[in-house]
Amino acid sequence: MENRKIRIGFYALTSCYGCQLQFAMMDEILQLIDKAKIECWYMLSRDSSEEREVDIAFIEGSVSTKEEIELVKKIREKAKIVVAVGSCAVHGGVQSWGKDKEFEQLWKTVYGDGKVKFEPKMAEPVEKFIKVDYKLYGCPPEKKDFLYALGTFLVGSWPEDIDYPVCVECRLKGNSCILIEKGEPCLGPVTVAGCDARCPAYGIACIGCRGAVGYDVAWFDSLAREFKKKGLKKKEILDRMKIFNAHNPKLEEMVNKIFEEGE
Amino acid sequence: MRYVKLPQENVYEFLERLKNFGKLYAPVKISEKFYDFREVDDVRKIEFHYNRTIMPPKKFFFLPKETMFKFSISKAEYNEVIENVEPFVIFGLHACDIFGLKVMDTIYLDEFPDKYYKVRREKGIIIGISCMPDEYCFCNLRETDFADDGFDLFLHELPDGWLVRVGTPMGHRIVDKNIKLFEEVTTQDICNFREFEKKRHQAFKYHEDWGNLRYLLELEMEHPMWNEQSELCLGCGNCNLTCPTCRCYEVQDIPNLDGDTGVRIRRWDSCQLRSHGLVAGNHNFRPTKKDRFMNRYLCKNSYNEKLGISYCVGCGRCTYFCPAGISFVDNLRTILGLEDKSCPPEMSEEIPKRGFAYASNIRGEEI
Repeated sequence: MENRKIRIGFYALTSCYGCQLQFAMMDEILQLIDKAKIECWYMLSRDSSEEREVDIAFIEGSVSTKEEIELVKKIREKAKIVVAVGSCAVHGGVQSWGKDKEFEQLWKTVYGDGKVKFEPKMAEPVEKFIKVDYKLYGCPPEKKDFLYALGTFLVGSWPEDIDYPVCVECRLKGNSCILIEKGEPCLGPVTVAGCDARCPAYGIACIGCRGAVGYDVAWFDSLAREFKKKGLKKKEILDRMKIFNAHNPKLEEMVNKIFEEGE
Repeated sequence: MRYVKLPQENVYEFLERLKNFGKLYAPVKISEKFYDFREVDDVRKIEFHYNRTIMPPKKFFFLPKETMFKFSISKAEYNEVIENVEPFVIFGLHACDIFGLKVMDTIYLDEFPDKYYKVRREKGIIIGISCMPDEYCFCNLRETDFADDGFDLFLHELPDGWLVRVGTPMGHRIVDKNIKLFEEVTTQDICNFREFEKKRHQAFKYHEDWGNLRYLLELEMEHPMWNEQSELCLGCGNCNLTCPTCRCYEVQDIPNLDGDTGVRIRRWDSCQLRSHGLVAGNHNFRPTKKDRFMNRYLCKNSYNEKLGISYCVGCGRCTYFCPAGISFVDNLRTILGLEDKSCPPEMSEEIPKRGFAYASNIRGEEI
């Protein structure tokens, strides 16, 4: 392992390509030249192929076609470490918002009678189909998270997951608290930190773009209770929480619980 | 102790001159309702009657986030990153916050000396200011409502200025260097000071004895309050992160892309977060939200031997800044039997044997 270059692949599923653009434009990427070999990253190198074996595979985008299901399975087979990159890959992205609607209806709304060369399906996170080893959250993800993960892999260690909410960074930064002060439905308490509370720093309530904190510590129920007290209806709460968390298995049940409590 | 009077008309001149002793930080309004200690350019923006700052003054000494050292794996070495700290002045600390710093000192100067903390603590000039409590304040119950030391100067409000207590040689120097701004304390000033203190004492919401609280907390581990209130908790960490005495931190190593060098950083941590109790082998010794919720109550109410007070200084921040509206004081009063007089507390299910004292699974030698 000493002098062998680490093999990296960056693969795109259905997405805006914003995640890989974010990383491709970092100056620091040049430091990788003598450490890593890019086996597949179309945005960086024309000599790319999805067929090669890699040490680390980064996947952006949500699985939104039948072909992409096969692609992620192939990537998993050829990669030692699979990293889901960005809200689409990690949580299914904002395109999963309409998850509860009929797929046919959604398709018609967007594409009408347009013909495509692939077999479309409802958008889903990568983890639904393959084992994901690490996640880079955000829409787009933070450069520092990418550098941290890569740097940690390069020294042969394992990066830590972020398991605490945006509120932590909001307090560390010295922001006011929008949820308390303005009573706006800030999703900071249930959303994965790492953005340095960027939106609240500008007085904008967190919309949850980094997705809910894992490990069952996103307390949708307690937050829904607070939103309810502030006068929000169940649908409004669910709609807001689902923007980036449509596939979260606990969300609906936890919010429903609060509205069954009565009062 | 030395006492002088700062007449009202000299206050802004005094504040301006504090800048000669270092960068000046003071409470200012940062949003519609909240305050924070910030660097002050225009001294007229300083708030003399703020309730509490969203960030506690520990932030000047124990930084919210800082780099501890740089390391190199190939050289097997690390170099501490300790910045050269210039003297600075923090104006406007309330008595509770001064006690907060004293609590921090018992940990980071005495128990676990922390050079990052110490280097800043030595350079910080502390100027206290009197306050009138609001409904969230309970420093009187914590015996932290009047600071005997821990400040260079302490200003007590008078109708026409401030009665100043001088606490340290640095305090003397500040007064001496600006002696023309000060006057002698008159009999009338003393009467006014006494009047203010009397009014202040009466303004506290509760006047009661909390001496046995920490023991009742241990005995009442099965109280229904814990379930009810932890259920409301968002686990966001605001209570810890606004607390003037919370001192846990989380460290992380951030390697560079060269596969060799990197930095170790630390940031304020919160015991309400999952990873606070997470140890090797993926074991979590506080696995549930309720465990974490209880931990803060027990930690804050434990006894600081050196100071003879609890770790909570009664500033009211954890209640005031709780997005779920959980009242620390109400919950403690519940445990004390002051909110709900029934004992045992009313519960729907059968009451289990209560507290540590009755735990059946304590391991140890058979007697």
